[in-house]
Amino acid sequence: MELAFLLILLAILLAMGVPVAFALGASSLATFLMLDIPAVVAFQRMAASMNVFTLMAIPFFVFAGDLMARTGIAERLVQVSEALFGRSRGGLGQVDVGASMMFGAVSGSAVASVSAMGSTLMPMMRERGYDADYAVNVTVTAAILGILIPPSHNMIIYAAAAPVSVSIGDLFLAGVIPGLLAGGALMVAAWRVAVRRGYPKGEFPGWAVLIRALIMAVPGIITALIIVFGIILGVFTPTESSAIAVLYTILIGAFVYRTLGPKRFLEAARGAVKTTAMVMLIIGAAGMFGWLFALLKGPAALAGALTSVSSEPAMIMLMILLVLLVLGAFMDMAPLIIITTPIFLPVVMETGVDPVQFGIIMLLNLGIGLVTPPVGAVLFVGCAVGKARPEQVVKTIWPFYLALIAVLLLVAYVPALSLWLPETFG
Amino acid sequence: MMDRISRWLSQGAMFLSAAGLVAMMLIICWQVFARYVLHAAPSWTEQSALYLMLWFIIFAAAAGVRESFHIRLSLLQDTSPPARRKAMRLFCHGVVGVFAAYMLVAGGQLVAATWQHDIPTLGLPRGSAYLPIPISGAMIVFFCVEHILTEWQGREVEPLWN
Repeated sequence: MELAFLLILLAILLAMGVPVAFALGASSLATFLMLDIPAVVAFQRMAASMNVFTLMAIPFFVFAGDLMARTGIAERLVQVSEALFGRSRGGLGQVDVGASMMFGAVSGSAVASVSAMGSTLMPMMRERGYDADYAVNVTVTAAILGILIPPSHNMIIYAAAAPVSVSIGDLFLAGVIPGLLAGGALMVAAWRVAVRRGYPKGEFPGWAVLIRALIMAVPGIITALIIVFGIILGVFTPTESSAIAVLYTILIGAFVYRTLGPKRFLEAARGAVKTTAMVMLIIGAAGMFGWLFALLKGPAALAGALTSVSSEPAMIMLMILLVLLVLGAFMDMAPLIIITTPIFLPVVMETGVDPVQFGIIMLLNLGIGLVTPPVGAVLFVGCAVGKARPEQVVKTIWPFYLALIAVLLLVAYVPALSLWLPETFG
Repeated sequence: MMDRISRWLSQGAMFLSAAGLVAMMLIICWQVFARYVLHAAPSWTEQSALYLMLWFIIFAAAAGVRESFHIRLSLLQDTSPPARRKAMRLFCHGVVGVFAAYMLVAGGQLVAATWQHDIPTLGLPRGSAYLPIPISGAMIVFFCVEHILTEWQGREVEPLWN
């Protein structure tokens, strides 16, 4: 009864357009008062869920990624990718996917990726006769690769939201193979569409160009190596490695690339503060919500509802994938990770799914939600950068959706794809 | 007058937050430097960086109410006719304002209840880490009143952070 009240009130507030953090907070608070639990307990939950060391990694990762995006590294990565993949049919589509994977290793933000790649590659594509919808299709779907390829601040959010302890180093390693696989699948989709539309082949720009681009890109790529190996080898905690990544990025941005002035620095700081403030407030409010949800035996009710349809683990997983896909179409990634992880993770763990694998499944699943209407931040940024109408873009994006969904199913049903690397090296 | 105070609060929160972020980074980098180069891991660094973050992030979150940067679903509002949209927006500001009033009052009780406990490595009262909750609650109430008044006049509060 109280559980239904909590969920229905939350749904109404969200639909009315109350910001997610306040909808969670207000619906929880109303339920607290209905249960005669003092409001101070609710704010205790809020404070406790924000008072967590690992959360400090979130502003640092966002800050480092944003700074890196402003150093002009995107152009270098595009040059490297062009030298590697540019010669195939519809070469710029492959170049886009390849460069997005590399960019994912320095940034981890899909929105940063789509604006950086879009503003570099879309004009090139237009010049060589590619259609605008194709350019947007490839760029937006490739942008979500950055969520899987480490480092990724969304993995930190998942680890913080999980009710059991999940190693961030393991999550980083687990994302590598699914990220490469999704990149490969998108390259195949981009190639097929390019062949059908008769897009031109590119030319090899020559070794000199490749080597020069590589040399310029290496300082950026090193950031990812510092973070990933620092955490996996236990040299740094995730928080430390992300703070060092910020310092390192400031130094190479100011002294190696010489593109980082005070204005860009302040813009990046503001962006990081904004994202963190948004995420932290949701984490705080979700602390109230999650505590109530557990108190009202929500996980058991949900598990009961799911198992009443089927007790087959594979079917339960499929239902969760569908629910996340639908939710992802309507809501942004970070709030959904924070809200749904404590709800779904206990259920799938009952059926024997590893929390690290589920993290990768969830990130890819919600990542697809970022490029689907009606609410898809990455899709709309991509349309704005590519000067294409969303209706037009969505009409031809199907091969790319199919590629990502195929990889999602593989990752969901073949645990080794995500777990092999962390089990071998973690 | 209200507009001036609101702009000042929002800009102030932004600059403080950016400074806090940089200070946090330096503290954590110092922690690594001290551990590997000076071979002495300081005990105060991690806790104080987190303390700093709790302060500046909640202020930035309060400013986010003025700047309307908190994630929300705008689909239903966007597809509603103007009169209904206005009513919905007023309702949303009201919900945020009431929640913030609770942040101020119940958050204040939380601060009072935990003021006697110390944070071990810092020697500061535990309650001081929670003090930003009631303060930002008061800021959000103020911003909501501003939103409601301007919305009532058929205008919108102009964001500064973009």
